[in-house]
Amino acid sequence: MALLEITDLHARYGMAKSLHGISLSVEEGSIVGIIGPNGAGKSTLMDSIMGLVENTGSIKVAGQETTRLDTSDIVRLGVGYAPERAHLFPYMSVRENLLVGAFTARETIEEKLEQVHDLFPVLKDRWAQETATQSGGERQMVSLGRALMSDPKILLVDEPTIGLAPKICDGIARALKRLNQEMGLTVVIAEQNVNFALSLAQEIHVLETGSLRVSGTPEQLRSDPELTKAYFGH
Amino acid sequence: MLQVLIQGFLLSGLYALIAVGFTLIFSVGRVLNLAYGAYLMLGGYAYFYSVQTLGMPKLPGFLFATGMGALAGVLMYRLLVKRLKGDQVAVEISTLILAVVIQAGVVLVFNDSSKILHPIVGGVWRIGSTTITNNILVAMVASWIILGGLLLFVKKTHVGRAMQAVSMDAKGARISGINTDRVNMMTWAISGALGSVAGVFFASYTQLNPSMWVAPLIIAVAVVIVGGIGSIVGTLIVAHIIGFMEIITTTFIAAELRGVFTMLLIIGVLVIRPQGLFGRGDL
Repeated sequence: MALLEITDLHARYGMAKSLHGISLSVEEGSIVGIIGPNGAGKSTLMDSIMGLVENTGSIKVAGQETTRLDTSDIVRLGVGYAPERAHLFPYMSVRENLLVGAFTARETIEEKLEQVHDLFPVLKDRWAQETATQSGGERQMVSLGRALMSDPKILLVDEPTIGLAPKICDGIARALKRLNQEMGLTVVIAEQNVNFALSLAQEIHVLETGSLRVSGTPEQLRSDPELTKAYFGH
Repeated sequence: MLQVLIQGFLLSGLYALIAVGFTLIFSVGRVLNLAYGAYLMLGGYAYFYSVQTLGMPKLPGFLFATGMGALAGVLMYRLLVKRLKGDQVAVEISTLILAVVIQAGVVLVFNDSSKILHPIVGGVWRIGSTTITNNILVAMVASWIILGGLLLFVKKTHVGRAMQAVSMDAKGARISGINTDRVNMMTWAISGALGSVAGVFFASYTQLNPSMWVAPLIIAVAVVIVGGIGSIVGTLIVAHIIGFMEIITTTFIAAELRGVFTMLLIIGVLVIRPQGLFGRGDL
């Protein structure tokens, strides 16, 4: 069953129209990658799913239409979001950031904290540190952790590797894989870093100037010479 | 000297109470509510009407005043601020106009003569040669208790943390499942209630009159500008700077200059350190 189903989604940011009739679905338990160049509309797509951007069309989460819902209700339905640039609370500690993430899921706080600390042990050691003073990698971990605290069914991750060293990207990739394989979480990753997305996702959608250009498995996309030239190097 | 110290602490406690509700709105909603002084006036007059006109006991009168302030905050948010969608200048102009309208309403209902509010707690206390009224002592203690309670609420409860979250990153708060509209409305209600409580104490310290909203507004603006965007602890510190400055001016220079230095301080900080002395953006 499709956990997330998007049909004919149009969205605009201010005066500019930035998504033109996107349709795609995400199966439960899968990892899906959305790739495309800067400005293709990846973040607008993620923000639309969260109800943060004015949009028309249909978005269903576990069969329920969400286009008229407030973001807080979409989070309650089970959508977690680690956005680009994290949007953490800079003068709160790591622990306080995580606790805010549990605003809609207060019964599972201890269990989720344990899960986050298991995935990112460094956050357990740094629990009292203000996130404003953390490194980019740690901030990304807090961002993913905060999204997990809401006990989501599906996790949206926007540019998780931007500006991070390769070693840290590997750590993030391992964590996302574990979340999917061990905890059954459905994951949607928007990435400019194509190799990162290809290494994780079972299905890839290529977004260009607000429209879906092509969708397929990583193998299918790699076999397309034009796409290979544009995205995967020679 | 002892006199200055005691008076300074008493006045500063009152000022902290006056400023904290204003700081709260500025931190969470990022707007200056220039009708904030009107909450104090509403609180003072509501208490006066219920206790001294209707003869209600003091505690229910106090609660009535607090409720009126909270209601005024909610109405202001829903009918005005929310519709202006974060347009700061529009909010500032319209809240300032609203304060003048509320003043006219007060004149209409209670006429424009000053009224004396009986002390909430009677009696005086003597330390050496210094006499202080129990009323202002209670105001200071209440101020500390309320500020302490507010700090605990903001730091230790889910809803308080949500308020902090909205003040630091509204998008981050929304994607954490926080309904920012509801948090804003609640903040306006709390701010209105705090303003009214401060108003009852302020009016019993000075007197009730329809232009009494101006002086507390200047104090609140001064605390926010001098302190920077509103930490509760920062509010407390700056309230003491301003409170002591006023007492020292009144005692050693001239009572007429009392508010002048506060205003000069506002301008000085705006020029030299526009982000405020403690400004960084959280509660």
